[in-house]
Formats: sequence, structure tokens, C-alpha cells
Amino acid sequence: MDTPSYFPVPPGVGMEDNFLSLDDILLSQERLPVRTECVFPRLGFLEKSADSQDIAEGSKMELPLWLCKGLHEKKRKVLSVELPKIYKEGWRTVFTADPNVVDLHKMGPYYYGLGSQMLHFDSPENPDIAKTLLQTFIGRFRRTMDSSQNAYNEDTSALVGRLDCLEKVLFRSGQNGLNGFQDWEKGQAAQLTASSLVLNYRKRKLVDVQS
Amino acid sequence: MDPSEVEFLAEKEFVKIIPNFSLDKIYLIGGDLGPFNPGLTADVPVWLALNLKQRQKCRILPPEWMDVEKLEEMREFERKEDAFTPAPSPYYMELTKLLLNHASDNIPKADEIRTLVKDIWDTRVAKLRLSADSFIRQQEAHAQLDNLTLMEINTIREFLLDSLNCMYKLRSNLQPGATKGQFADY
Repeated sequence: MDTPSYFPVPPGVGMEDNFLSLDDILLSQERLPVRTECVFPRLGFLEKSADSQDIAEGSKMELPLWLCKGLHEKKRKVLSVELPKIYKEGWRTVFTADPNVVDLHKMGPYYYGLGSQMLHFDSPENPDIAKTLLQTFIGRFRRTMDSSQNAYNEDTSALVGRLDCLEKVLFRSGQNGLNGFQDWEKGQAAQLTASSLVLNYRKRKLVDVQS
Repeated sequence: MDPSEVEFLAEKEFVKIIPNFSLDKIYLIGGDLGPFNPGLTADVPVWLALNLKQRQKCRILPPEWMDVEKLEEMREFERKEDAFTPAPSPYYMELTKLLLNHASDNIPKADEIRTLVKDIWDTRVAKLRLSADSFIRQQEAHAQLDNLTLMEINTIREFLLDSLNCMYKLRSNLQPGATKGQFADY
């Protein structure tokens, strides 16, 4: 009864991403440290630190994910992508030790999404990254579930502030279930309320219509 | 599914009433409802019982499980067991709300019953969350939970299914190449 007739396209978690999803588009804006393997002639203006006309081989830059994915090819070495530090060994041990402590929003709001996209770049640490992502998710699941199912009618900004975007979506669906149940129990489910669209319509006065 | 839809399904349950009018047997699509004689008990579905009560044409008798001692026993039993015990009725939450809102004068100790049912609900929901957490933690493929009622399932359904979807996709990362080339259709 409350389902909207318009569903926003959800982000595709996993190695594929949805072309039409806004979350995925924002995710692909994240920058990755990259080392160029060949010369980029006459693109020197992209790199502000050097003054040359082309980007020399071996220079380190930060490029957004969408560009890196497009330029990544196994046969012709154009770029080599390094892992951002949260996917490296040091941070991985932190995540396996206690996933609940980490503030995933600060670490890049798209931890799971970006991690899954990194697996495209065929780094030797791929299986470890994939495993860490899964273990972090499992470890944090309990806290997300408890906080979403118990916080009714409260300010949830403190709870949500440390969650990654994926977990925020889960939090919201948990809240939906909880709010639906509580509304029903209070008897508000049977009350007819004016739809928000109708409330925004201004009543046209008959005079205006006639003139 | 909305909680209102679950409540609608719950209204099919039968409950005993004592009408104060008389009526011959009525033949409805869902079944026949027996002749009504004043002062004699009749079995009717909850939707009809509530309607008659609101028109002051009957008195509702509380179902057998809606008794303070029985509910206290069930509550203690529920707290002791790790698994789910059989619920008082497959729609205990909805029936409690409906009957106690509309017919609390016919049900003795209505407030205590409300508190007891709430306690049973809280215990069961806590067990449900615990088992959902262990389900995810061990990455099982199946779980079997007996004796769950529809309302409890409904409150956790959206969240659990979304998290299982996410977990499935993160797990598919572990097997690269299996999912390449899948395109979503819009």
C-alpha cells in the first residue's frame, strides 16, 4: 500500500555496477592512485604539478574510477592502479580484528562498492580484499540490525554517521519495517491522511479560474 | 507486506460470541455462519465479531489462550527455551490488539494481558534477531524456524532480504569470472 510507483535504481553491489544507479555514478567519482605506464602526449594540463606538455611515463596521479576502468587493459599497459590504503594489508588487519570500531563513512562512503570495483584491476591481493569485504559486512551486520530495529522516533544521525552507503540503505529498510509495525500498533495505519502531493496543491480560487 | 495486510489476514480467525439478536443461517462465499440465537454462543470470524460488537449486537468471549495464567506460563516457557515455542495463536499479536481495542469490557484483566503479550512478543523478536545474526555470521544457505508468526516475519522481512542480497553479491566477488557478462535489463 505504501510502495511507491517509482523505484530508484539500486546500486549494484558486486563486480558489476548498474549504469543507471545514482549511487554507482557517485561511487565512480572516487579517486584512485595510479601510475602511468606510458606517455600521455599533450595531456600535461591535467597534471598541475608538472609543467610539461605531456604526462611522462611513470608519473603518479589520481584518476577517478570511471577513467581507470576505461583505461585498464591487460595487453597494453596504460595504467597500473594501486590500491587505496584502506584496502591494503594494514587496514585489512584492522577490519578483521574488529569491524565495528571503524568509521566507514570517513573511510570513503563507498567502502563496499569501491572495494568490489577494485577487483576489476586484477591485483594479486584480490581474494584477500574480497574476503575482507565480506567479513567486515558480516561483522557489522549485528550492530546495523540492532540499531535500525530499535531506534523508533529518535534522532538517528549518531547511529548512521559511521555507516557506509550500503549499510545506510539497509538501515533505512530496517527502519521501514519498524515504523510500519509501530504505526500499526498505535492504530495510525487505519487513519486516512492526506497525501503529501495533495497538501502541496494550492487551492485555485474560482475567481482565478474564471478570469 | 503491510502490517495492515497481516491484520486483515488475521481477521479470518474464528472467535466465540454471544449474540443478542436472532438470525437464520447466512450463506456467505467464505462459508456458512450458523443460526444466531440470543444467549447462545456462536463461532464467527473476527471481522464479523468486531462489526457486531461495534453495533452492540453481541458480546465477545476471549479466546482460550487469552488468560493471564496461561500467558504467564507461555512467557516463562518462551524465556527458558532457545528455540521458538509454539505461539499462543498464529495471529496472537493482531488478535490481542483488535480484541483489546474494541472489546476490552468483555475481557477480564485486559491491561495485564496486553503487558504479557508484549513481553512474549519482545522475547520472540529478540530470538529472531539472534538467529538472523547467526544465520548471516555462518553464511548458511538455509535456515528453518518453526513456530514463527506472520507478524514477526513481516517486521524483519525487508531488512533481512536486503542484507542477504548484499551478502550474496559480496560473496560473488570471491568467485571472479562467474558473474562477468551479466547485464541488468531495464
